[in-house]
Amino acid sequence: MAQAKGILQLPDDPRFLDMAYDVQGPVPEEERNLLSNLNPQDREIAIKFWESVKSDFRFNEYLRGCLNCGVCTSGCPAAKFYDFGPREMIQYMMRDEVDKIWEFTNKKVWACVQCYTCSMRCPFNNEIAGLIMVLREYAVKFALPSAKEILAPYRRVLYTVLTMGNQVTPDMIQPDSFPDWGPQAVEESKNMDVYRKAIPVDLMQRTDIGWHPSLQTAVEMMTIMIESGVMDSLKGVDKDLYDMIMDIYEERKSQLEEIKQKWEKGELDESELPDSWLDL
Amino acid sequence: MAGEKVLVIGSGPAGLSATKELRNMGVDVVLVERESYLGGTPKKLKYSLLFPELRPASEVLDPLIKGVENSGVKTYMESIVEGIKEEDKGFTVSIKDKSGKIVNEKVNAVIAASGFEHFDSRRKYEYGYGIIPNIYQISDIERMLSENKLVTTKGTPPKRVAILLCVGSRDATVGNTYCSRVCCAVSTKQAMEIKERVPDAVVHIYYMDIRTYGLMEDKLYWKSQLEYRVGYIRGRISEFMRGPNDTVIIKGEDTMNLNRALVVPYDMVILANGMELGLGSKQVAKTLGLELEEHGFVKPLDPDRLPVQSTRKGIFLAGAITGPKTISDSITEGYAAAMKAYEYVTRGIWDESDFAKKRIEVTHH
Ligand SMILES: Cc1cc2nc3c(=O)[nH]c(=O)nc-3n(C[C@H](O)[C@H](O)[C@H](O)COP(=O)(O)OP(=O)(O)OC[C@H]3O[C@@H](n4cnc5c(N)ncnc54)[C@H](O)[C@@H]3O)c2cc1C
Ligand code: SF4
Ligand code: SF4
Ligand code: SF4
Repeated sequence: MAQAKGILQLPDDPRFLDMAYDVQGPVPEEERNLLSNLNPQDREIAIKFWESVKSDFRFNEYLRGCLNCGVCTSGCPAAKFYDFGPREMIQYMMRDEVDKIWEFTNKKVWACVQCYTCSMRCPFNNEIAGLIMVLREYAVKFALPSAKEILAPYRRVLYTVLTMGNQVTPDMIQPDSFPDWGPQAVEESKNMDVYRKAIPVDLMQRTDIGWHPSLQTAVEMMTIMIESGVMDSLKGVDKDLYDMIMDIYEERKSQLEEIKQKWEKGELDESELPDSWLDL
Repeated sequence: MAGEKVLVIGSGPAGLSATKELRNMGVDVVLVERESYLGGTPKKLKYSLLFPELRPASEVLDPLIKGVENSGVKTYMESIVEGIKEEDKGFTVSIKDKSGKIVNEKVNAVIAASGFEHFDSRRKYEYGYGIIPNIYQISDIERMLSENKLVTTKGTPPKRVAILLCVGSRDATVGNTYCSRVCCAVSTKQAMEIKERVPDAVVHIYYMDIRTYGLMEDKLYWKSQLEYRVGYIRGRISEFMRGPNDTVIIKGEDTMNLNRALVVPYDMVILANGMELGLGSKQVAKTLGLELEEHGFVKPLDPDRLPVQSTRKGIFLAGAITGPKTISDSITEGYAAAMKAYEYVTRGIWDESDFAKKRIEVTHH
């Protein structure tokens, strides 16, 4: 494990160093959570999951120590509405409690809105929101059921981000989706086409995408997503979406290749090209 | 022994006690003080009762001040030391007063006792100190207590008070990762003083740890619960909001109960602001060529073995200039610095240590 010099390892879960354990066994509250309660398969994943998180290069940099002061949780907007708190997570991490981390990842970690208030105010300078992101990333990598469930409603967003590089499209502005906008959303949605046509940048004159990357940009962007492992992560949580996006990638790549070859051979006739490559 | 002279900078508890001891040993003293009065920060902020004995500050400070006033010490008030030159076996120092007039003095040694300043809570912007009414610092409350003017903006005594510990201390976001050592004791003391005046007031102290160390544990922490029913809530407050009727709403977590932000109104909130070196002592350190340690205080030659010697030969240190300290610690260091300076000016004794030169692993915050 790559390890910065001088940074200590987390201790073993203190609860298992308690000598009374052998005699008395866990108390009921602990029994609910202890790893031994999981079926062997889940247990193995839970341990592997936590080991992977701890060996991530960011982990020891982000987790520094904890005064157990509660500043993070008291300023956290998510803690206000859910049974969730960043202090809880940092404490489990500091104490190396793999079962608690497992439970936290499956039930709670998704409540955070990544506002970074906790990171900014933590008197120990922990990168708390970053640690939450690391837990989530590994939850996706491990294709945990909670990650699948959370990401399911975001298929459309993932699809547009990964194929177009942007997520909100103008035609999403519908009164139903933006009730908080009131009558303004009604107005906007009625005339969206006209508004967009009026934008003097031709890359933005459509309503089904936010902006219109060139074919080359789109292919490069998708290549980055593949090479950086984003697509691999997606494969675990949503195989259908993965297949769909990879098909689009292959198609675009060959289109681009074709155009390039024609250009090199001097066969490219610009007047034959469509206005938008999306119409190819 | 002929005409040895020592310059003392600062007339707080440390400087006063050093001055008095040197005079007792027959050494001449030149005392330079930036303010127009003797007594240091306790006088400046008009401390009320002192911890841990809960006796009026004047009982401790006035005898020190009187002793110095009557000892024939040459005192330069409203003055600072502006320059120092090594000469023969001592220094020539130039002292500048408020009008800019400069006087030179020849001295054999220097004791720097220019003390600390309070952390300015405005630097912790999410607390709204200076913007939201009815938020005070412990350093403001001392005066309100000693002048018997403990009232909210409504002009009435507070009925619900929250005291928040560790403001500007133990906090990497403001760069101070040390503990200021006295603020737990001061806060506990102030809580009792408030209950003494307003017996039906609710006083809550928000803490991470209570550091009423040593003999102060029962004299302050236990007593405040036994006799005054001060409430202790474990958690640090993250922000304040202005509430209706000039109340202050605090947001903190009761860390004994998971995951719930407490949102509670009070009519007075007190921030236990910590200690820092301050501009006065920084000016002294710069002029005298003293080194600073990792927390920004002046570095002693050897913090364990030679705590009152500086890294520059002939210059001694006493009091809060080397780190957060109580008044009795500062007075004791004044004695120690006086004795060390006496040995130095009469017999040339200067202990050596290479500790300060050794590379020290600095924690990165
Ligand atoms: C709110 C609060 C309450 C406290 N209450 C208690 C208590 O009840 N009991 C207790 O034991 N301790 C208490 N303390 C701690 C106490 O204030 C310090 O221990 C003590 O003041 C330190 O004494 P000192 O002489 O080192 O420094 P100071 O008291 O700070 O004196 C330094 C002097 O040097 C002068 N000076 C500064 N710069 C210059 C310069 N450049 N040139 C010339 N002169 C200069 C200053 O004007 C000042 O007069 C309290 C602290 C705080 C924060
Ligand atoms: S980043 Fe997440 S955990 Fe941190 S304060 Fe914001 S919502 Fe809470
Ligand atoms: S703010 Fe930082 S130090 Fe305080 S409880 Fe949260 S993680 Fe721990
Ligand atoms: S003395 Fe108490 S209030 Fe002051 S910094 Fe230390 S722990 Fe915090």
